[in-house]
Order: sequence, then structure tokens, then C-alpha cells
Amino acid sequence: MKTLNIIERIEGEAKLVCTWKENKISDAQIQFLNFRGFEYILNNKPALDALIYTPRICGICGQAHLKATAEALENIYKSINEPLYITDKAKLLREIGLNIEIIDSHIKWFYIFIMPDIAKLSKEQKYLKYEALKGESWRKGTYAASESIKALAVFAGQWPHTSYMIPGGVMSDPTLFDIITMQNYMDQTLHFLEKELIGTDIEKYFSFDSELDLDTLNATLSDFKNLCFENDLHILGKSYNSHITLSDTSLFESGRIEVKNRLLVDLSLIDEKDINTFKINEQKKENEYTWAKTALYNNKPYETGPLSRALISNRKLIKNIHKTYGDSVFTRVMARMDELINLVFITKKLIKQIDLSQESYIPAKIDLKDIESATSISTVEAARGSLLHKVTIENAIIKDYDVITPSVWNLGPGIGDKFGIAQKAIIGADSIEKAHIILRSFDVCSVCTTH
Amino acid sequence: MMKHKPKIVWLQAITCNGNTHSLLSANPSRFELLLNTFDFFYHPSITTEKTLDDVLNLKEIDFLLLEGAVTSNKQFYQISDSSVTDLLKKVSKKSKYIISVGSCASYGGIHAKFEENSDIKGLQDTLNIVELKKLKQPIINLTGCPVHPEWILQTLFTLKEFGVISLDMQSRPKDIYYGLAHHGCTRNEYFEWKVEAKSFGHKEGCLFYEEGCRGPMTHSNCNRILWNDVNTKTRAGMPCIGCTEFDFPRDNMLETKKNIGIPSEVPFGINKRAYLTITGVAKTFKIDRLNKKLIE
Ligand code: SF4
Ligand code: SF4
Repeated sequence: MKTLNIIERIEGEAKLVCTWKENKISDAQIQFLNFRGFEYILNNKPALDALIYTPRICGICGQAHLKATAEALENIYKSINEPLYITDKAKLLREIGLNIEIIDSHIKWFYIFIMPDIAKLSKEQKYLKYEALKGESWRKGTYAASESIKALAVFAGQWPHTSYMIPGGVMSDPTLFDIITMQNYMDQTLHFLEKELIGTDIEKYFSFDSELDLDTLNATLSDFKNLCFENDLHILGKSYNSHITLSDTSLFESGRIEVKNRLLVDLSLIDEKDINTFKINEQKKENEYTWAKTALYNNKPYETGPLSRALISNRKLIKNIHKTYGDSVFTRVMARMDELINLVFITKKLIKQIDLSQESYIPAKIDLKDIESATSISTVEAARGSLLHKVTIENAIIKDYDVITPSVWNLGPGIGDKFGIAQKAIIGADSIEKAHIILRSFDVCSVCTTH
Repeated sequence: MMKHKPKIVWLQAITCNGNTHSLLSANPSRFELLLNTFDFFYHPSITTEKTLDDVLNLKEIDFLLLEGAVTSNKQFYQISDSSVTDLLKKVSKKSKYIISVGSCASYGGIHAKFEENSDIKGLQDTLNIVELKKLKQPIINLTGCPVHPEWILQTLFTLKEFGVISLDMQSRPKDIYYGLAHHGCTRNEYFEWKVEAKSFGHKEGCLFYEEGCRGPMTHSNCNRILWNDVNTKTRAGMPCIGCTEFDFPRDNMLETKKNIGIPSEVPFGINKRAYLTITGVAKTFKIDRLNKKLIE
């Protein structure tokens, strides 16, 4: 038997075609049918305009794309042996900006996008508070997200769609009171997490080493855990359990894990395949069913995102949960929430480290226009996983712009008899509702997937 | 008796979802008021109870909001198997008010730069207004990339209370777009005395002369109704890129186009020669205060 479902509420739309055997999904095809062509749009545009364009690849990951563009252009200077000097202040403001965006994204994703679905699996009255639009917890989630994003607006001017990062630094010049305002917003976010999400203070949370610790609390995470265990989400949703993270930050380490071994990443082994992908201006072939491409490392599929980041940088609680429950929905979502809590904690520290006496921006000595031709790569950790930009410019005009988004790693089609990451995770589910939740556990973004 | 809550249907076409996230970043108590006052019937990424089929079965929609550019080309874009154009044609006929949310829905915006699909445009250029029998006023363009969340709220609440709003030549609410992004910018004094920003990354100086700021040519009230209740791009140090205007995105948005050292476009509504004369005069004043760091 085959079924076809349209999946909404994933920042766009996708189709899920499932083959069923003995009431379980035995094959799943994830189709992304919408394409906006950003890589085409960027062709022949002035290089600096990419700072305006790429954030608009995704309304929620704009800062990740902005940072990737700014750093790819900086790496152009490196490639001609004229590296720009970026002050620590500028570096901090960029990382803080990106972190706040991820914090906002994680809160929204959890409260707005996945909890309403998970809560629906139960008929119990007490979970009605997670209902979309009406539920008290849903509303508190949107409240907390919009309060936390203010910390970014303080120095970036607005969110979404600000382009305050630029090769050479950042455009803003915050005051000490701005720094305190940012701290205040982060403190409020932390307060929300302690009260609503965790149910205890953060120090206590950091002492947790097993999911059993959640049972002592009465907050969203314990509700989430109970719902997962009642519905087998701690067993479902397993994929290859191979993980990749492409860049380092204050919280994350780059690397990859394969069968328990932690290994280094060599960016030159990353390849984007389009075997099953539609092509522009070409008659569609029978095997082509989606606009998503497939990202592979050394020809193998890897998962990217908060779970991968937690495992590679060795975060205790998630490591322990993963030991027992593998890369299940429960572990994957817990990793995202654990990341949220850690990010707020670390971002507060980073804000404090800003040295306001440093410059925000130091202009380049060489004009981009005077660089005849160069290519460079940058990598950034976005909410959903690792993002890679590769740009070629000629006299400050873009000749080629390639973007590999996190969702391409996680949601791209499988190749040959090798399933894609999310595809493999869905196989084995016994209901379409659960298949949707498994898919959603990857924080699906269709605009990011096909860009 | 339950009061009638006007129905909002929000559809998404070719978009980055930026306007949705802008709305979700609205002032929380304002957003709550919106949810309590209106029946947020359908939004593809927010509502869970209703599907697109439910929307198609509705007899009447009070407010149809569209985010994103429109195309009839199913090869590149489809919504539940329909082309965007077909879907909108069906739904628009039931709607009392139609609002294009964002520059993409209004003009095609950034997505219209995807030339491989030659049919990407704004909503207004897609629908035939004569067929929209229920429509109570012309299609409203809330331009911006993204739109300011307050603009959505104010427009909806005003229409609910007063039934009509006055629109400018571009079909944008005059109440929002009568002024310029420049009004309320904390750098205005630098602009007046022609003190340019030394470079990016400073509180001091105006971004009009070198950095490409479009504040004086862009209709919006960003600098009066702050973003996220906190700030604006130009206050923070990023030039206005003119995202509320039909020609967004232009080329070289982060530099000022000049002829022999003089900005080739001058503030909206000012004679160029007169502007240059004033500039010359203003520059002869050396105002110490404006050439110093604000915080030493
Ligand atoms: S107007 Fe801007 S924010 Fe809106 S959909 Fe278009 S690009 Fe995105
Ligand atoms: S920075 Fe832009 S908006 Fe601000 S005063 Fe100068 S020209 Fe006007």
C-alpha cells in the first residue's frame, strides 16, 4: 500500500510518500516541490549585495547566512594572502547575533511547531496547553521567542533580515548600556527556560546526567519526555547515527562521528549530488522527484544539527541519553533543547566578554574590485545544522555561489539503495502522525532544503 | 452570544517566511490581542486544526493575507498540487479584504530576480480586480522585506474598526508610508550638517553619503515604530536598503552611487541643484560636536 501526505508547518510544504508493509512504513520518499533558485539569483550580482540576498534564503536562519556570506568574502582576502583583521569585539557580536537567532528558532520550533503535534498524540486534558494559537504554553513560547530576539535588535537594528555583518567586522557600535540591555533580555529568556521548559534552575539542570532526572520536575521537558515514552518516540526515528559538524564556536566543535569514533572533517570531501533532483531547463527524468539535493561526506550520508553537535562536543546529558536511546526522536529533540539551554548560558558569558574599546569594523586595504578572480568557502552552525557557502568572484562580481544547507544533509533524497538521513529515520513508523513527528524532529525547513 | 471574530486566512507563496517570523516577533501583548480579536483561521506554518481544504470550503474570508511572490509556473512552485495563481484566484473571490504582506507579495521582490522563471510577480498584477465582487477596497500592499509586524496589526485593526483605509499611489496605507524611513533616525543631525560616517561601525555620522542609505528616499516609518520594540537598522549602523519600494532589491545596496563625488540621487522631493547648494553651505560649518566621538 502507498500513501501520499502533504506536510505543512515546516516552513513551506513537502510531500511524504510512504510504502506500508504490515502496518509499518517500509519505504518513504520525501518530496520538496518548490524552488526559488537563490544560487541562480546571486549570479552576476555585486559581491557585497550577497549580504542582503543570502539572509533572505530563510526567514528564520538569516543571521547564519549573513555570517556565512561575510566570512566567505573575508576568506577571499585570505585566499590572496591579504587577510583582513577582525577584532574580537566584531567576532563576538557576530557569534552572539547568531546564537540569539538560534535561541529564538529553537524556542519557536519546540513550542510552535513540534509540541502541538506531540501533545495531540494524547487525549489527556493537561496537554491542551500546548495546542497551537490557543494553548497557554504555546503563547508563552511565542512570548519568550519575541522577547529573546530583542537582544539581537539592540545591536543589529532589527530581526528578521538585518545585514549588520560585513567583511571587516560589524556595522554597529553598541554602548555599555546596550550590552546590559542584551544581558537583560538573555536573563529573561533564561528565566523562561527555568520556569517553563526545565522546571528548575539552570545549575541543577547542568548537574543532570540522565533523562530520569526530568521525572522529578513538572515542566514542559517532563511532559515532553512522558509523551515520547508513551508513544515510542524514544525508539522511533533512528537513522545512521553518523554525525557531522562543520565549524567550531564557543559551544560546538567541528568533527564527525562514525561508529563511535570521533574523526576530523576535511571540507574537500563534501560533495553535493543531484542524481534524484530536478534540473532547471531540462526534461525531468523518471528518478527525479524533488528539488532537494543530497550532501555527502566522503560519499556517505551524515546527520547534522543539535544532536550531532552535542555528541561531537561531548555534552554529558545528551551523550548519556544517546547511549540508551540512540538517535531517536526523543534524543534528537532533547539535544535541541539542551542546546537551547546551553546557548543562553554561553551567550550571556560572551556578551560580558565584549571589549567596547575595540573597533567594530576595520576596512580592507584592497578593494574587492581589484581582486581579479578568487574562490573561498565558509562554514557556520545554523539552528538546523552546518551551513556551507562557497563563492567565486571576479572583480567583485559573483560568478558562482553554492550553498549547502543543513537540511540538504538531513532531508536530501537517498541515492541508489542508500536512504537519506530522514528517510531512513521514518522507516519503521506505525502511523502517519508519528512519521510526521519523526520528520519534524529534524526541524524541517523546506525553503532551506531547496533554496 | 459569541461576538463575530473576523476570519484571517494567511497564505504563503514564494517566500522565505520572513514576514511570518516578523509577525511572530511582534510585541507579545499586541500579538495576543490579535489572536483574541481575530479568528486566525489558517496559516500554513502555524495553525494545526485547519487545512487548505477547509480554506477552499469557506464561503467568506474577511481578511486574506498573502506572503510571498506569485507564479503560475507549477514546475517551480505549487501549493497542494495547485499553481499559486490558480489557488489565489479561487480564494480571492471569497475575500472582503486582500492584503499583500511584504515586498514579494506586493511586487515580486527578491524572488522576481530568479529569471529562470519568467513569471514571478506581485499579487496585484495577478488578480483581476473586476472579478473580486466581495472586495471592499483595492488590494492593500504592505511592502517591506520583511513587513514590520505593527503594520500588519494596525492595518487589520483599522479595517476591522473603520472598514476602509486610505492608500497611496502604490496602494500602500498612507498612515504607514506617508513619511520616510529617514524620519526619526538618530543620525538626522549628521545628515543635516552633511557629516558623513567615517566608515561602518560608528554611532556618529550619516550613512547617506558613502554607505548607500536610502532613508531619505524610502517610504516607511521604521524609525518611528521601532523594530522588535527596540531599534532600527539605521540607528544601529546599517544603511536603509529601501526594502519597502518597488525597485528593491537594487544593485550595490551598501554603497552610494556618486557623480564626481556627489550622491547621484538626492532626498525625495528636493531639487538636485538646490540640494547641492545647501550641502556646500552646510559643509562650511565645522561643528565640533558633530565631528567628535559621542562617548569618549
Ligand atoms: S518580502 Fe522579503 S521577507 Fe518577505 S518573503 Fe520577500 S524576501 Fe522574504
Ligand atoms: S543614516 Fe540614513 S536614515 Fe539615518 S539620517 Fe542618514 S540618510 Fe537618514
